[in-house]
Amino acid sequence: MSLVEKKEAPDKPPKVEQLVNIMIDGRAVSVPAGINLIEAAKLAGIEIPHYCYHPALSIAGNCRMCQVEVKGARKMEIACNTIVKEGMEVATHHSSRAVADSQAAVLEMILINHPLDCTVCDQAGHCKLQDYHYQYNAKDSRFLEEKERKVKAQPLGPTVMLDGERCIMCSRCVRFCDEVTGTAELGIANRGDRSVIVVHPDRELNNPFSGTVVDLCPVGALTHRQWRFNTRIWFTKQVDSICPGCSTGCNVKLASRDSQIVQVKARWNADVNKEWLCDYGRYGYGKFVPKERFLKPVEKINGAKQEITYDQAFQKIISAGEFDAIFLSGDLLTEEYHLVSKWLETLRYQPKIYLNYLERSLSDLEKILISPDYSPNYQGALFCDLIKLEGLKDQWFEGLRALSAGKLQRVLMFGDNVLHGLPAEFESVLSATLSDNQTVSKVSKIVFCGSDAASLAAIGAWIILPTEALLEKSGFYINRQKRMQFLDSVFAMPSGVLAQWQIIARLAIGVELTKAKNYRELSRHFLAERGFEGVTIAQIKNGGINLGGEL
Amino acid sequence: MEKRILLKNIDCPDLHRLAKYEELGGYAAARAALASEPASLIQAIKRSGLRGRGGAGFSTGTKWEFIPKNSGKPVYLICNADESEPGTFKDRLLMERDPHLCLEGMIISAWAIGAHWACVYIRGEYAYSYERLKLAIDECYQKGYLGKNIFGSDFNFDIILHRGAGAYICGEETALIESLEGKKGQPRLKPPFFPAAIGLYKAPTIVNNVETLCAVTRIFQMGADAYAALGTEKSKGTKLFSVSGHVNKPGVYEVEMGYPLLDLINVECGGVWKDRALKGVIPGGSSMPILTAEELKGVVLDYESIQAAGSYLGSGGFIVFDETANMLDVACNIAHFYAHESCGQCTPCREGAHWIEKIFNRIASGGGIRSDLSLIESIAKQVEGHTICVFGEAFVWPAKAFVKKFPDDFANLLSDQDRLIQIERRKEIGERQINKGVELS
Repeated sequence: MSLVEKKEAPDKPPKVEQLVNIMIDGRAVSVPAGINLIEAAKLAGIEIPHYCYHPALSIAGNCRMCQVEVKGARKMEIACNTIVKEGMEVATHHSSRAVADSQAAVLEMILINHPLDCTVCDQAGHCKLQDYHYQYNAKDSRFLEEKERKVKAQPLGPTVMLDGERCIMCSRCVRFCDEVTGTAELGIANRGDRSVIVVHPDRELNNPFSGTVVDLCPVGALTHRQWRFNTRIWFTKQVDSICPGCSTGCNVKLASRDSQIVQVKARWNADVNKEWLCDYGRYGYGKFVPKERFLKPVEKINGAKQEITYDQAFQKIISAGEFDAIFLSGDLLTEEYHLVSKWLETLRYQPKIYLNYLERSLSDLEKILISPDYSPNYQGALFCDLIKLEGLKDQWFEGLRALSAGKLQRVLMFGDNVLHGLPAEFESVLSATLSDNQTVSKVSKIVFCGSDAASLAAIGAWIILPTEALLEKSGFYINRQKRMQFLDSVFAMPSGVLAQWQIIARLAIGVELTKAKNYRELSRHFLAERGFEGVTIAQIKNGGINLGGEL
Repeated sequence: MEKRILLKNIDCPDLHRLAKYEELGGYAAARAALASEPASLIQAIKRSGLRGRGGAGFSTGTKWEFIPKNSGKPVYLICNADESEPGTFKDRLLMERDPHLCLEGMIISAWAIGAHWACVYIRGEYAYSYERLKLAIDECYQKGYLGKNIFGSDFNFDIILHRGAGAYICGEETALIESLEGKKGQPRLKPPFFPAAIGLYKAPTIVNNVETLCAVTRIFQMGADAYAALGTEKSKGTKLFSVSGHVNKPGVYEVEMGYPLLDLINVECGGVWKDRALKGVIPGGSSMPILTAEELKGVVLDYESIQAAGSYLGSGGFIVFDETANMLDVACNIAHFYAHESCGQCTPCREGAHWIEKIFNRIASGGGIRSDLSLIESIAKQVEGHTICVFGEAFVWPAKAFVKKFPDDFANLLSDQDRLIQIERRKEIGERQINKGVELS
């Protein structure tokens, strides 16, 4: 795998040939030409505080938090709007008293009309206003007057709620809707400290990426209607993961509490999703939670369910003979596809392999981020040579046709989403065939390996093997740009349940597919076996590695 | 003594009609200009020493030279007629009485900078000026002085008249451009400092004040050298001053640069009314620091002298206060205006303008404490130079000056309350807000 490229820091700007030398706080650094001082300082390990600046949006320059002193300038410059120049000498708050004072003053001014309702604010704990106040001001306010009153709890659309009083007018949400989605639902009405974010009179904020404005809001002005007053963020467990909704592989931060996802945030990855996330992904995490969890293997005999042990189940499966086909869900880990392909090599017969791959039609707006498929890791299956790139959809339809025609006698199905999103032409046939308990044994002996007893595959199965749910796995996903990223587990697997990869290993008789004892070892062995020398999981977690694809 | 250059014909009846204007020699300068090289016109303007009359006093010829050569984009000319600085009304007089003087200046300027399209962005409240300018532009189109092949040359030039919607900030040239583009009138980030390179629709744009454009016409009528011979070494020509307040004869006066300031008040304007003593004068519109009677001694009317005295010539809007004026009232009034007009884009101005207004109002209603004056000083320090446009300076300079120069008007109202009392007061406000909240819900 000589194609593997060393991953750069995620927020490092694209490579520019030319370097310029500047001094920041008396330290000489070489930075790429054409970047602004916030990015340059970041490369030098200095954080310049900012609210309105966002690397993927236009420069607004209105918060005035990022002011710095540039030698030779008449007055302080805002770092976001100052491009580095050879020989530039910059003083940040670390070395300039005046800069520190101006930042403290900006914070004091932002807070004079702020309601200071941190105790009931969802943003508390991950609020830039709180953070910066403690870092850069932390003084009592000298404001003795009455505060301005603005709209509270105003819905901007089906997903987002506005608290006008908490807003600091950074205009990130307005710029996102103007520049990224191009839908321009939001604007700022009124002048002075009566300014308020408004939604266009005849419209609402309901574009496919509307939830992203909440991520962009540095304070608690915009909140998710779905998750308001849900929990304090410090009581949650937060995991950096990948959205398994489609093969774009958006980087997300998942906050969970009491086995529930309580907030989904986009995570910055310049090469994948910037900091955007679609609403289907963000608000759709419920579909990855099994509706009807089962923890013991089940055998169905003439429609009657009977609990058996794993050992009994494997015995029955093996004695039933060779598999005609293996149906794979598109959201298995690359490691699991790798094990399947290793297992196939040991077999004397070759079962047909079918991978769930469907395409939906997307609007031009949705296409800016969303992929048409529902198979987040179809590239992983391609990488392991389980399927052919040409006609992914046709291959899948061929499998479905064969299944519904009863041509396949013994079938192995992997993953809860293995029959996800069936097209209408198959859905009625298959659900009738599979749910007909009288005929099921005649048509096929389906072995289903998943976590959800309510899924269609489980209903039609002869034996169902319980395993982990999607949010309990961790391993590699390869997105449509062929970037290998890391999906991390949000919840722990229930005890006594075998993981999907362990089941694959048990199905391979007489060979040891893997020596791994847990997910981390599995991932490490995969890296070693597939030639990723010197690549660590941590490296892949930090923005992913490019396997030579193009967007 | 008044030196009428721009206002030469201002008292002629029917001057606003094209026939009368031409009878008095109008549009000859424009015809002559169209026959000469644009570059030579810019040089002539530079030689005349004309400085922008909108308030900043930047050299007009130098500004014109900033237009990039062969940018591949059209060049636009904008006449800034959004005269909204309190205390300033000179442009209104020019537009109402002598609109063709401005239009002729626009034709010459457009030829000099290579613009084929110009806009007069006129203050929304100036209904009468708008009517007069509209009539003048219509007359010019009828006679072929505007439109295709003006004056029979091969130069095409259109002027459209656009009314503002009443925002003070749209007098700031980049906010004006944003407004003209159909956006919210908010100043643009600097750099770029001048719209000459990136202006209207990202094309090179020159924004000039009405008075500046009128002066351009006169410069080509009388010759650049004759114009440069007027005034002082650095501030050349004449300037219009709008004098209002406590004088016997308020109005617009045109005097040569370098004319003694007190003479303008005492001679031209007939002195302070009711035989009262002079307390102070705001020399350049309400956004400039006030000068006390003491500071006014020996000051002459040019950019440098007033700056040396601690204020700026600005737009030439003189507001005169007699000894009975209470500067706290003036401060409240001016602070209210700027709090109302802050566009709300950047933090220090959005919050600071209202904060200062509220402090002045609190002092006026008897709730002032001694530390308020240093608080105003401190807010002013953190606003000045920290905002996107000069609006920040526009509201902190006068506020600072009132507090510093007229402490007697504030002192009686300030109590020596200490910090504890401040905290008490904050609690009281908090309770009031809570009670209000109860009422509301």
